[in-house]
Order: sequence, then C-alpha cells, then structure tokens
Amino acid sequence: MAGSDKPQDTAKTDLEDMELNGMVYVATVRSPIARGKILSIIPPVLPPGYRIILPQDIPGENHIVSFGTEVPILASGSVSYLGEPLALIAGPDSVRAASFAAAVQIDYEAEEPLLNWESFSSGQVLAKRVAVVGDPDLAFSIARQALESTFTTGSIEHYYSEPQGALACFDYDKFAIWCATQWPYHVRDSVALVLGCKASEVAVRPTRLGVHLDGKLWYPSLLACHAALAAYLCRRPAKILLQRREDFLYTPKRASSSISLRAAVDPNGRLSAIDARIAVNVGAYGPLAEETLSQICLAATGVYSCPNVRIEGYAVTTNTPPMGAFGGLGAGQAFFAIESEAARLAQFLGEDPLDWKSRNVLKKGSRLITGEVLKDDTKYDEIASKLALASDYRRKYACYELVRKRRTDRYDGPMRGIGFSFAYQSAGVFFSGGDSNVYTVEASLDKDLHLVIKTSAAASSESVRRIWCETASAAVDIPPESVSIAPPDTDRSPNSGPLTLSRGITVINRLVERVCTAIQKKRFRDPLPLTARAVYRLPKPVRWEEGHVSGQPLEGAAWGGAVVEVELDPWTLEIRPVGVWICADGGRIVAPARAEASLRVAAASAVSLCLRERLPAESEHISDESFFEYGILGANELPPIHVELLQGDKRDESKGIGELPFNTVPAAFLAALSQAAGMAFHTIPVQPADLAAPAAEAAGGDAK
Amino acid sequence: MTISFILNGEDVTVGIRSGDRLAPILRHHFGLLGVQTDCLHGVCGRCLIFLNGSLVPSCMVPAFRARGGEIITIEGFSQTEEYRDIVDGFRQAGLETCGFCETGKILAAAALLEKRPRPVPEEILVAFSSVSCRCSDPDLLVKGVQAAAELRAGRLYRRARQ
Repeated sequence: MAGSDKPQDTAKTDLEDMELNGMVYVATVRSPIARGKILSIIPPVLPPGYRIILPQDIPGENHIVSFGTEVPILASGSVSYLGEPLALIAGPDSVRAASFAAAVQIDYEAEEPLLNWESFSSGQVLAKRVAVVGDPDLAFSIARQALESTFTTGSIEHYYSEPQGALACFDYDKFAIWCATQWPYHVRDSVALVLGCKASEVAVRPTRLGVHLDGKLWYPSLLACHAALAAYLCRRPAKILLQRREDFLYTPKRASSSISLRAAVDPNGRLSAIDARIAVNVGAYGPLAEETLSQICLAATGVYSCPNVRIEGYAVTTNTPPMGAFGGLGAGQAFFAIESEAARLAQFLGEDPLDWKSRNVLKKGSRLITGEVLKDDTKYDEIASKLALASDYRRKYACYELVRKRRTDRYDGPMRGIGFSFAYQSAGVFFSGGDSNVYTVEASLDKDLHLVIKTSAAASSESVRRIWCETASAAVDIPPESVSIAPPDTDRSPNSGPLTLSRGITVINRLVERVCTAIQKKRFRDPLPLTARAVYRLPKPVRWEEGHVSGQPLEGAAWGGAVVEVELDPWTLEIRPVGVWICADGGRIVAPARAEASLRVAAASAVSLCLRERLPAESEHISDESFFEYGILGANELPPIHVELLQGDKRDESKGIGELPFNTVPAAFLAALSQAAGMAFHTIPVQPADLAAPAAEAAGGDAK
Repeated sequence: MTISFILNGEDVTVGIRSGDRLAPILRHHFGLLGVQTDCLHGVCGRCLIFLNGSLVPSCMVPAFRARGGEIITIEGFSQTEEYRDIVDGFRQAGLETCGFCETGKILAAAALLEKRPRPVPEEILVAFSSVSCRCSDPDLLVKGVQAAAELRAGRLYRRARQ
C-alpha cells in the first residue's frame, strides 16, 4: 500500500501500512491540564508544508455525538481531561509534526480537577437510574440474614491490536476515510457533521480491526474527524496514527465502578431483597454514560429471582479521559459484584454456592425486575452440573472449606480455593434504544450462483466471517466458497449498527440467515440476479422512568458459568490459578470449535484482569511509568482453560457468548481466592502485595 | 554513520544516526512492513526479527549492532520451507490470529522449532511469551506448533531419504 494514490481493498490492511502519495501526518496538541481554561495557543514558527489546525478552522460542528452526548473534536475554551486534543499539527514528516506539536506554547488557567467519583456532587451526575420493585425496606426488616459489601473495579486498558488512527483523503466526489472501527456509520456521520457536508458525501472503508474489546466503538470517529480536518484544510491525504504510549495515556479505558450491595435472605434461605447503589466513573463527557449505566443497573440483580429490589445508579463525570466499554458495556462489573455477594451469602449460610444459587436462580417464568416474565430457560442446573463434574467442584469446595475452617494460622498451607459464578450475556441490544438498534444486511445472488453479503459490520474475526458464509451457504444451498462478504464500505453496505456485544452472531448472523432464506424462496421463481434486505429492530426497548424499569432485557440472552480454582503460595503469597472451566449455552452453535476457541481467548483475558492488569487510581493520572509496567498475562502464565458448550438444536437461535467469560470469571476467581486466603476480597486484580499486609497482621507483625 | 549487513539474503548498506533503532530502519528505509513499530519497548513482539540467528525485538536493538550481521525478517523468512510448515501447522490446528501479531507468532514458533524440534506444551507457551497479544487461544497455539513440528519433521525426513 506504500506510495499509491488510492488504497484498494483495505479490510485486511493495517492502517500503519497505508501510505499515500503527498500524504500529511497529523500530530495532536494536547492539554497540559486536566481541568481549566485555555487562554491561548501559540504555535512555533512552522516551515512551509506544515500548518496548525485550531477549533476556529473547523468548517462544521466542533463535536461528535455518541448516544446523544457531545464530545468536542478540539477543546475550545475549557478542557476536561489531561491530554484532551486542543489543536492539530499537519505536515509531511510525522516526527517533525510531533515535535512541533510538543513545542506549541499553551497558556492556561488551571482549576482543581474533579477526580472523585465514588463520592460525588450532584453536578457530576450525567445519568441516573432508579428502580424499585416490591418493598425492600420491609423485606430487610424481616430478613433472616442481611449482608452488605462494596465491590470495586478499576479502569482497564483494552490493549487492542493496533493503536487508534485514521486516514482521510478526497476520492473523486467523496471524502474517504479509512480506519479500524467497530461502527463505520458512526464515523461517517461524525465526519459529515464536522466537515459540514452531507453524510452521503463521506465514505468509510474500515481497515483491519483486530482484537478491540470494545475500545474502538466511538473513539475512531474522533480521530477520523482529526484526519478529515487535516485532509480538508491541507487538500492532501492525511493520516493520524497514535503511538502506543500516546494511545495508552489518552484514550478511553473501561469505566471504573463501585457497587454497594445489601442482600437479604428469608428464613428458607431464599434471596428476599437486594439493595444496590452503583457509581460508575464515565470520565470526561461520558459518551457511553447512559448505555453503560443501563447495562450495569439491569445486571445488578444478576441471575437471581428477587421479589424486593432497589437499584440506584449514577454515571459520574470526572476529569479523566472518557471511560466506557470493555468486553461489553458494564454488565461485567455488575456480575462481578452480585456473584461475589452471592458466594459470600452462601458461605455465610453454610451452603455450597452451587446449591444456594440453584434455589435462587431465575427460571423460565420467573418475574424480572422489569415486570416481564423470563421466556427462556437459563439451563442453570445443566450448566452447573457439567461444570461441577468437569472441575470436581463439589468435592474440592467441601475439602477447601474444611481446611479453611480448621486452619489455625491464616498462612498455614495448603491454601487452595475454588469458586463458581453464573451470568448471562444479553443479545446484543442497546438498552438506551435509538437508531443504534436498527440493523440491516443485504445479499445478492448473481447468475453464476455467487452470493455476496453486504454489511457495514467490520468483523474483527475471520471466524465470524466464516460463520456468516456457512450460514448463507446452508440457507441458499450453495457451497461456502460461493459466498463472499463485500468490504464493509459505508458507500456500498447498509447500516448494520455497531459491532459489539457479540452482535456478529446475535444480530448479523440472524439477518444473514433471514436475507438468504428470502433469496432462496424467490430463487426458483424470479430470474437471477436477486437482491434482498433484512432489517432487525429491537422489539421492546428497555425504559427507565419514575422509579421503575420496563422492557424485556433478557430476550435471546446466552447463559453460562465458570469455575476457577486458585492456589496461594504460603511463603511468597503468589497467586497461582490452577484451572478455569467454562460452560455456556450458545443456542445453535454454527462452528463449535471456533466458539470454544473464542471462549478460551476471552477467558484468558479475564484471568489476566484478575491477576495482572491494573491502572493507577483516578486520583493519580496515568503516567509513562504505568505504560511500561502495564501488561497482560503471557501464554505461559495462564492456567489450563476447559470449555464445554451446550449445543442447542437447529431451531434455536445462535447466541453471543464471547463476553460471558468477562461476566463470570472475575467473580469465580474472587470467590476462589477468598476461600484460599480465608478472607474476603472486594476488588480485582489481586496481587501478592495486596495480601502482604493481612499476612503480616496474621503473623503478628506490624502491617504498616 | 554507514553500516552494511545482509538483509534477507542480500547485501545492503544504510546510513544511520547513533541513536537509531533497527525497527524503524527496516520498516521505513527498506519498506519491510512485516516489521511493525508498535509498543517500541520490546513487549508486543510485532517487530521480531532474526539477527545472526537469534530472535530479537528490533525496536530495542541499536541499529549499529546490525553491522556485518545477518538479518532475516518475516518477508525473508516467508520464502523458506520452515515458514510453510508453520503456517500450515497453524491452519491445521485452526489457530487464528488478529493479523497484527502474526509476524511475531510465526517467528517465535520458528525459533523454538530450530532449538526444540519436538517441543512440549510448556516450552511452546514460554516461546510465545515474547509476543503480547490478546488474540490467540493458548490451546490452539500449542496444537499449531505441534502440527508445525510434525510437518517440519516429515519434510526433513523426506529430504534425508532423498
């Protein structure tokens, strides 16, 4: 792709490899303060060919819109986080452009940044959710036992395959954008808004996406706008590609959360009340605040049937980079809290968590907090028994519990624990509703019996593309090699919505099947070529209003569980994961081997979150030091990961299961570690240093 | 200063500055796009190359260290039969990568198979610790390298019999 005038098919090209003749490179001038006013921006003397781009140079609007929230393209007047883009320097040499950007003089008036989010002022609340079901106060007053805990999760780096970036240039009558994005139509609409042109005048051609873990949902739109501005103003192709360090320091991370749970059980040991107070740090602007909060609040009661519930959730803005999605849009944090609380409750009642959960889990016909009835079976008993059998859970749990109770010295070995958790993954819908819940796929069958599928969903995995091909092949009854997927170009492919929450399987694959079935029905009636479209709309959106929530959030959800076993070294306090077992109900599974592989990949990342990945607290800004220290677990540090799938029959719908490990593994890990160490933990990751103080205390030393 | 070395079997000469690292020189001067400049601190494994037979992250190697040496990048390695063994082995096992880390994974497998023609799973997983990426299933990494080892052994056996 080096040195051409126009890129060709780019769906399998890395943005880093794309170079166009006469291209300018874009460097970002960033805010040196987290909060305050920018008084002036004075660039150094720039040589010919270089220029600075300021907010006043923007021909259209100076913001993009994500889920109804505006995020500035270039901050003008006031800034909201350290490293926020203030201006751009474009020029023919990337290194010189970056050095000019670093030399820009910025005069500012700094204000004390708002970094607290666990306790916050009303002015920091961007979104609020309240729902009350039954009479929680009465239920707590007559409860047999009540347990209260606060669980926290920190921000996490996505560690995606390629840093964020975009390339823009004029392409005849279009303005073309290349970038690795989960949501090409969002990029298109954002660029059109910023350039002040029609959306149809912008064409987005996604490049290779790689692993993204939802880190490329909306942020590529911001960088695409930067590249588009430079290309528009310089009248040359323009590329912005963040360095890994810059990406680490200034791009969105997973939203931190603090979930205080109070749970009560009745005299029969059944869950009688849950009171959840949730605070989520959505960072500056909070572009995913509404959606993240909805997902967390709906998952706050987990997989349990509970007649009395109070949920109060707040999305809190702070002066940190915008925070949001990570392997889902918040449900993982909620499951971590409720499943950890459930494990504690069961232990408190002296029951095996597997049995306690079996009595309390949602079943077909159970009433949800939305008032709707659960239509599908969760298959809890089947999943739990498979996991128990594979991991020898029951025997190990009983043994480790016995050892824990009889241990006189907390750090007297052996120190082993095993934990179990159960969760769901919703069927790829946005609970905030809106246009994001309308998806379209098109397919054409030509005279040579070659089928082309058109979708804007830029699947990051070859497996997903193959699944679409196999689904289409089966529906139209042609060989899989006669099916191809058109490059996901917004000019040629319909809007299939953002590719997140396993929508590649839950939504797009169903649409592929529907559109191909429609073609098959017409195939021997109408002359070829044939073209058909299938559109999916969320049937009943979830609504939050005046203290209650309505809708059907669990329609088509996938259910799954995880068992994690850990061992603690009594001398070094090193935490060694012994094994991970995952079992999921994926409905009709088109490619079982690929589904198992994707679960193992996600489980590996989930274990890495439990043991290794930690960013500084929001009160300390992410520094270069954290960049060099941050890392994921290597392949040799992972425990064996066993996966088992419940295969549905041909009439079942395929379900998204790729994010289930993020919803199940952390709580199972925490339960296992708590059992091994003989004390309760409330956050992940847990590292040997976190155990040192309690260990010193147990040994009779001074913990300080 | 000017240095000369063998790059993918050809004698080359390039002017460098004292602080230059190898990765940008290979990528930008020689246009070898398989050498990626990602983390730039020797962790991600996307700039791995063979330098005098050793697998090294080229972003961490001062460019002058290449003087008089021999470098093989993924572009050069892809012309070999060993490359074909590894790619076919990965495919047989159903191993998929995100595409970005493929260079590192192929070269890490090649370096391992050169030292240990029949590696055990633990050795395979340790070999891939030089490539940091969230994309691959550890089980399939093991199966992929074991399949590659079989193909390599079969090829070497056939060659020895000829």
